[in-house]
Amino acid sequence: MTGDPILSLRGVSKRFGGLQALGDVTFDVRRGEILGLIGPNGAGKTTLFSALVGLHRIDAGSILLDGREIARAAPHRVAALGLTKTFQNVALFADASVLDNVLIGGLLRRDVAGARAFAGECLARVGLAGIAEKKAGDLSFPERARVEVARALATEPKVLLLDEVMAALNHAETAEIVALLRQLRGEGLTLIIVEHHMKTVMALCDRIVALSFGRLLATGSPAEIARHPDVVAAYLGREYVG
Amino acid sequence: MNRPLALAAVLALLAALALPLGLDPQGYAIRVVTLVFLFGAMAQSWNVVGGLANQMSLGHAAFFGLGAYTSTLLLVHFGLSPWLGMLAGGVLGGAAAALISLPTMRLSGHYFALATLAFGEVMRVVANSWSGLTGGPVGLSVPFAPDSLWLFNFKATLPHYYIALAALCLVTAVFVAIKRSALGYRLRAVRENGDAAEVVGVNTARTKLIAAVVSGALMAMLGTLFAQLNFFFDPDTVFGAAPVSIRVALIAIVGGVGTAIGPILGALVIIPLEEAANLFLSSQVAGLSGFAYGLILIAVILVQPHGLASLGRRWGRGRRGAP
Ligand SMILES: Nc1ncnc2c1ncn2[C@@H]1O[C@H](COP(=O)(O)OP(=O)(O)O)[C@@H](O)[C@H]1O
Ligand SMILES: [Mg+2]
Repeated sequence: MTGDPILSLRGVSKRFGGLQALGDVTFDVRRGEILGLIGPNGAGKTTLFSALVGLHRIDAGSILLDGREIARAAPHRVAALGLTKTFQNVALFADASVLDNVLIGGLLRRDVAGARAFAGECLARVGLAGIAEKKAGDLSFPERARVEVARALATEPKVLLLDEVMAALNHAETAEIVALLRQLRGEGLTLIIVEHHMKTVMALCDRIVALSFGRLLATGSPAEIARHPDVVAAYLGREYVG
Repeated sequence: MNRPLALAAVLALLAALALPLGLDPQGYAIRVVTLVFLFGAMAQSWNVVGGLANQMSLGHAAFFGLGAYTSTLLLVHFGLSPWLGMLAGGVLGGAAAALISLPTMRLSGHYFALATLAFGEVMRVVANSWSGLTGGPVGLSVPFAPDSLWLFNFKATLPHYYIALAALCLVTAVFVAIKRSALGYRLRAVRENGDAAEVVGVNTARTKLIAAVVSGALMAMLGTLFAQLNFFFDPDTVFGAAPVSIRVALIAIVGGVGTAIGPILGALVIIPLEEAANLFLSSQVAGLSGFAYGLILIAVILVQPHGLASLGRRWGRGRRGAP
């Protein structure tokens, strides 16, 4: 199921003034896997996602998508090459309908009519077909997060970065999204997910990368990460391991 | 477009076509309505940038003046038909818009407004100073050669009335086509969240650039209409911030930014209001007309903050919402 690296990070670094948000981050993402990215608040997970899609210009390092350097490419180029993300703080086009939000993503590879039809399919996949005509700004937070997923799916990515899309979902909704992510992996999509709910991450992910203060702490299988002393100390604490 | 709206548009167009039958072809009223159409078209071209991209340009006079001077200078020096001059002006207007769009597109809100305002003023100063080319503050006269369709030269206002009406329809059609196209969706996305738009594949810079070029080119072409209608203009009239840039922005804002009907409604209210204020008040106390005009504008904006177009929408929603 998993295979050769589709995304390779080499020495990725990013400073915000005096703060080293990312320091020399190096790891590979394998084609078709679900990779979990964990770390305490402020570890740099969101910053790493923004750097990968081109929203932050990195200070040093290289990012290869399918062997192609994307570290200095504009976000729309990166999206065209097949890498996109959702926004942790939710960045929908608030005045537009849910369908039109998703349609924008579909325009990357389709005309308006094609994008509209495809947007409907994407909304159905995240379970929001019923609210396609609602104004995005009027939705609840969990609904908005799922619209983010649908909009990202509409770009037909090869690699999708999901930043806490399950935060604030209830059990049933979480189960639905987990099932969807497994299904997407089955279709060949590569996923990197950031989630705070450790049980979900451990159950869903093939491998896990742990960050702390912008630095790579450990990579490995969920079981290895759960046992890793540095990770346990930095993040998981008694809560999970106990 | 839904059926009642299409019907209303057709009826309005028929009324506009028939209106001159009841007006003196040389008179004042037909001239005012012609200006309503012309300024409605100008506000509509502003609406592509101001409404769809939501960039508050206060420098559209730069393109308008460029168009007026281009076609008129080509006519004066080379006898070129203003219809062709209008195309040349459109190309130059689009190029100027691209030139000013590139450095300003990343500016937000107030800074974009100020930068474009400055650009318009620079063009006005250049037109005033470069007397060798433009004639300077003295202005330019269109050679009088009535009546020639090829030279876009008519003594009566009536032909200008229909040309301005056609221009309003065409620019509105362009606006609607853009709004419904992929470009319209992209502009909307860029307007609401540039980062999110980029991340899902929208080239925000190119999207804004195309909108600016279309808007600038249309505005420049309308400059030719103004020159041929007035037979005379100077830098302050066509490059001025108050008479052009701010006025077209105001028309669109009062009417309803980002809607196709907004600039038309805005022009229908503002142009006659200005004329009335000038007619009835300027003889009484100097400056009173401007004062009254300002008061009325403030009142409209306070009562209807989303423009007159939202009146109709509210009414439509109310009806549909009724049990
Ligand atoms: N645009 C920014 N400017 C300055 N500092 C930032 C910016 N974005 C994030 N940071 C800082 O970088 C660090 C990492 O933040 P973030 O990537 O959001 O962490 P995480 O997603 O892992 O919680 C934090 O200390 C945060 O305050
Ligand atoms: Mg985060």
